[in-house]
Amino acid sequence: MSKEQLLAEIREANMTYLMLAQNLIRQDKAEALFRLGMSEEAAEMISALSPAQIMRIASTNMLLCRFRVDDDMVWNLLTNHSATKVDNDATTKLHASILMAGRFAEAV
Amino acid sequence: MATQKSVLNDSKQVERAVSLIQLGARLQVLESETDLSYERLLRLYKEVAGRSPSKGQLPFSTEWFLTWQPNIHASLFQNTYEYLTKVSAMEDIDAIMAAYRLYTEQIAACGVEPLLSITRAWRLVKFIDNNMLSMTKCSKCGGHFVSEAYENSRHFECGLCAPPARAGKGSAAGGILLH
Repeated sequence: MSKEQLLAEIREANMTYLMLAQNLIRQDKAEALFRLGMSEEAAEMISALSPAQIMRIASTNMLLCRFRVDDDMVWNLLTNHSATKVDNDATTKLHASILMAGRFAEAV
Repeated sequence: MATQKSVLNDSKQVERAVSLIQLGARLQVLESETDLSYERLLRLYKEVAGRSPSKGQLPFSTEWFLTWQPNIHASLFQNTYEYLTKVSAMEDIDAIMAAYRLYTEQIAACGVEPLLSITRAWRLVKFIDNNMLSMTKCSKCGGHFVSEAYENSRHFECGLCAPPARAGKGSAAGGILLH
């Protein structure tokens, strides 16, 4: 893949992300804060962006959305390489959901 | 001041009551969370739900939240609720409703039946506010789980890291399974 192509893909991903975020925030702000894992201030800033601004922000060499699972425990649960004795797909997913929801609550 | 009539406030209250009824809340929750009169709430309930509200007392025990399956459901809800109250300045009851919607969504994604009703979820928040229950960090996975009020966090292990002997062995559809 050429460099131009890579940059174009990053721009596209950024654009999709920002547009989705705007949609989520405008539809239901409280839910969006949880889904996106961002603060109210950040959400307000994103929802106020105009299409032209989104285009400008998206055209960069960095991805704007960040990886959210930064924790071995949650990662193991999600990928099912679990260290725990529980061996049920739905249950490990549930466990991961509890941990993730708790992590965001801790982080803020 | 408190009893000043405001049409705007009134419509907000009605709207909130309607959302609560749609989520399946009991009448006692509505009475406590809105300023509307009992008669109006009753009429509203019949109109929205199409039936009379259930009678009788609310489930009152804190024990239910500590049994294995309900505890997992309650913990998922409470973590979501605490996140919402931390990141945004919404009123408690609105946060409860938003967290409850997210909870049912997450539970459905895991293929499990929602065990927690909105009324129970509301009770849970009240119990924790009044120090009758609390959230304790599991010493193994680090997640926060609903527990007794003065649980020793040093040795606390959650129901998913250390399930009780016979937990999750049943075959009831929609339950949390461990096999």
